[in-house]
Amino acid sequence: MLIEIAHFLSILSTGLFLLCFLFSFILDAKDIFAVNLISRIYSRGFLLLISSFMIYVWLAANDNFNVLYIAQHSNTNLPLFYKISSIWSAHEGSMFLWIVFLGLWGAVYNSFVSNSQPLKAKSIGIISIIAVGFLLFLLLTSNPFETILPIAPFNGADINPVLQDPALAIHPPILYLGYVGFVIAFSHAIAFLITGDSSIKWENLVRSWSVVSWVFLTIGISLGSWWAYYELGWGGYWFWDPVENVALMPWLAATAFIHSLRVSSKSSLLRIWTILLSIIVFSLSLFGAFIVRSGIIDSVHSFANDPERGLYLLGFTGFLIITSMILFSFRLPILSSNKTIAALSKESFISINNIIFGTLIFSTMLGILYPLIYEFLYEQKISVGAPFYNAIYIPTTILACLFLFFSIDSKWQRGFKKSFLVTPMFISVILSIASTFVTYYLLLITDLWILISIFTGSLIIFRYLIVVKDYFLNNKYSNPFSIIAHLGLGILVISIALNSELSTERALNIKMNESDMYRDYKITFDDLRLIKRSNYDSVRASFLLTGPDGKNIELSPEKRKYFARGQVTTETAIHLTPLKDIYMTIGDQLDDGSWIVNIQFNYFIRWIWFSAIMMALGGSMLALSLVRSKQ
Amino acid sequence: MIKNSFYLLLIVSSMIHANSLYEFESLEDEKRFYSLIKEVRCPKCTSGSLASSNAPVSEDIKQKIIELIKEGKTDREIKDFLSFRFGNDVLYNPGFNESTYFLWITPVVFLTLCLLVFLFRRKS
Amino acid sequence: MNIFIRLILILIPIIFFSFFYLYINDDDYYPGADFRVIDMPKFEINDLYKDQRFTHLDLEGSYLINVWASWCITCRVEHGFLQKLSDQNIPIVGLNYKDDKEDALNWINKFGDPYKFIIHDLKGRLALDMGVTGAPETFLLHNGKIIVHYRGEVNKMIWNDVFIPIINKEDIFNND
Repeated sequence: MLIEIAHFLSILSTGLFLLCFLFSFILDAKDIFAVNLISRIYSRGFLLLISSFMIYVWLAANDNFNVLYIAQHSNTNLPLFYKISSIWSAHEGSMFLWIVFLGLWGAVYNSFVSNSQPLKAKSIGIISIIAVGFLLFLLLTSNPFETILPIAPFNGADINPVLQDPALAIHPPILYLGYVGFVIAFSHAIAFLITGDSSIKWENLVRSWSVVSWVFLTIGISLGSWWAYYELGWGGYWFWDPVENVALMPWLAATAFIHSLRVSSKSSLLRIWTILLSIIVFSLSLFGAFIVRSGIIDSVHSFANDPERGLYLLGFTGFLIITSMILFSFRLPILSSNKTIAALSKESFISINNIIFGTLIFSTMLGILYPLIYEFLYEQKISVGAPFYNAIYIPTTILACLFLFFSIDSKWQRGFKKSFLVTPMFISVILSIASTFVTYYLLLITDLWILISIFTGSLIIFRYLIVVKDYFLNNKYSNPFSIIAHLGLGILVISIALNSELSTERALNIKMNESDMYRDYKITFDDLRLIKRSNYDSVRASFLLTGPDGKNIELSPEKRKYFARGQVTTETAIHLTPLKDIYMTIGDQLDDGSWIVNIQFNYFIRWIWFSAIMMALGGSMLALSLVRSKQ
Repeated sequence: MIKNSFYLLLIVSSMIHANSLYEFESLEDEKRFYSLIKEVRCPKCTSGSLASSNAPVSEDIKQKIIELIKEGKTDREIKDFLSFRFGNDVLYNPGFNESTYFLWITPVVFLTLCLLVFLFRRKS
Repeated sequence: MNIFIRLILILIPIIFFSFFYLYINDDDYYPGADFRVIDMPKFEINDLYKDQRFTHLDLEGSYLINVWASWCITCRVEHGFLQKLSDQNIPIVGLNYKDDKEDALNWINKFGDPYKFIIHDLKGRLALDMGVTGAPETFLLHNGKIIVHYRGEVNKMIWNDVFIPIINKEDIFNND
């Protein structure tokens, strides 16, 4: 049977990866024949793994319900796209995908990087042993290849309707590509530490790989946020849910890492920071996987609570991280630079940036763990949520942005020019004060932190606009990727601030053919109909909104009941305008025949994801230029 | 027409308790309400605030909050009311007291220490 | 100084992972059990059967208060054990939660009545005051104070691990 073949192929690939690891450590990395052998073994191992996965995809696409996992998560009525995406909708399958992507990054690296690269053999070996660890986890505790024999069920269980969504279907693969992509940096860092040769510039070898991974992470997290907004019906885009936090930490570490990497690849400064960050990024990715899959933290994302799986992942992740840290602390001397960081140089600002991001990571970790520690010590529960995270993130991000602003005029390996009062910095400050006053008077915002955020975001935006002006008019070269990405950051800060301050909502109560007013909009309830589909019934309420400008908008939120699990979902109706989203959902019908109608005005929310796209764009352009120039 | 209403009723009555009306006496009260429900955890859900939940007990608690706002209770009194009945973990803000000093203060200490170390290591 | 830093770098992850190891293996804690002591809220509610009114004054001494409803499936599972407790002369008061009177009476007629009496909390107001989030939930009331609040089904294991220790400690129900 095909599934048995797929199972067997995965077992074989585990063996080959193990062999690859052993050879990479036993054989001499300077011997080109050895490296060729190691490289070939790896590519064979990956070939087996990807074949196994392809068979699995085929089985899912063809409704093979002899496979237990496919029977549990897929269904004949699903479109092909969702039959395949159901593979990563639960624990075993998504673990399989994770491992395939891990192998994939290694395979791409293996093909594109020459065997004469000094760290290649050991790096491939390290990637292999990590793959082995996870493959054993998969095969021993979370086997996706289990079968229902001899007779397959007639049809699979229905997939959760909430997962039948394009954004949510691609959100895990993109996120995983981001997480596992940092294995390249990690394995090089470890290989570098093992060889102990400080003259090898491992930093230069991993830049493009790391930046691409960062882009995937940025997009993946934004997709999750965007999906939550339009699908869940509450109008929020970030909930400080434990698993969101656990996804955010690697992103923070990755951002700090790619900045620190820039410094270390250019000079011998910040090498300690860069190595430490490369270990931290990957460790946080592994830790994230552990937290989600062991189920020890309650979250809407968590898969089943299983102590056995938790212990395995804990042990394996712990082993990797602890040995990395031992190696790191052992090799600390070779990483020290005899050069000092010049005062107010770009390097010093990036160092401070590392510290600030480190604080954010530390605080987020603390927030996630505190309820666990508290429960462990006092046998009582507490919750740590938005109030804590907002209190930490807002001032810290503003601090980071201020340092960014100053860093724009800093130079590599030397200090500032003293005469900055007549420079762009001064102009930016003036313009930012102006824009802050505009928001104060026009939008009547008095919240101090919001005003500070707007001021800080404006500083960044104006300063970079001047940079752009100099670029085109005065032919003054500046790093375009940095401009785009940091402009994105400035827009992000302002959008989040304005969104939180200006957005409003209300629960209205309207009868059929009647209307109500909300913030200068007239809302008329003009239609109510029942819609029947193959797997759900739906009540669709249509509303005609007439704005103060006289324009008409039609919005039709729905309430759906899916047959298979009896689940009721809300479908939001959203109208986009440049400045705001008009967002509607329906509640229940009251005894007098009227309906509860929830309406929200979400200001600048699209700008938040737009800014994330800008950051991803800057990163992508950087990656492209690195690939073209380096290799 | 009657048949349609029957189906409507079926769908709607699958939620046992009506997502009832929120009535406020002022804009200020409404704002307070929407802000409060973001800070209170849904006691029945795996995770998430009252704002993101329509579980029956969440609706009850929301109505109670509206009632308490009408009675003139402060935010603190409302939060105390809820934590008394549902436990401290129903509030997303764990408070600033002896058992949580560590939570709030360590980030500040961490940042300050690292910055100081950075500054002094450069000088030497 | 250098050695110190290196040691810290290694110790931090070790402590980190040891904590998780201990946490995962910590089995005895029941997340549904709440042992905070709070006063029983004052109430005045109708009986389920007739229009007799019950108040908090009718609950002097020690009682179990069991929150149940006809729409609650787990309550059916729990019911058998409650009957056993009732046979052991443990006084249980039923709190019928957000239930239609007819449905509740039918349920009781069908499955049996282990309760000393049942109060009909149609709107769930008393339940909210007691911190109820759904059904089934069971409270141990002793001298006007709630000393145990368990969220979830009470079965032999839960009874022995969560309730019995407190019952023995406070020496409740020693008349049987």
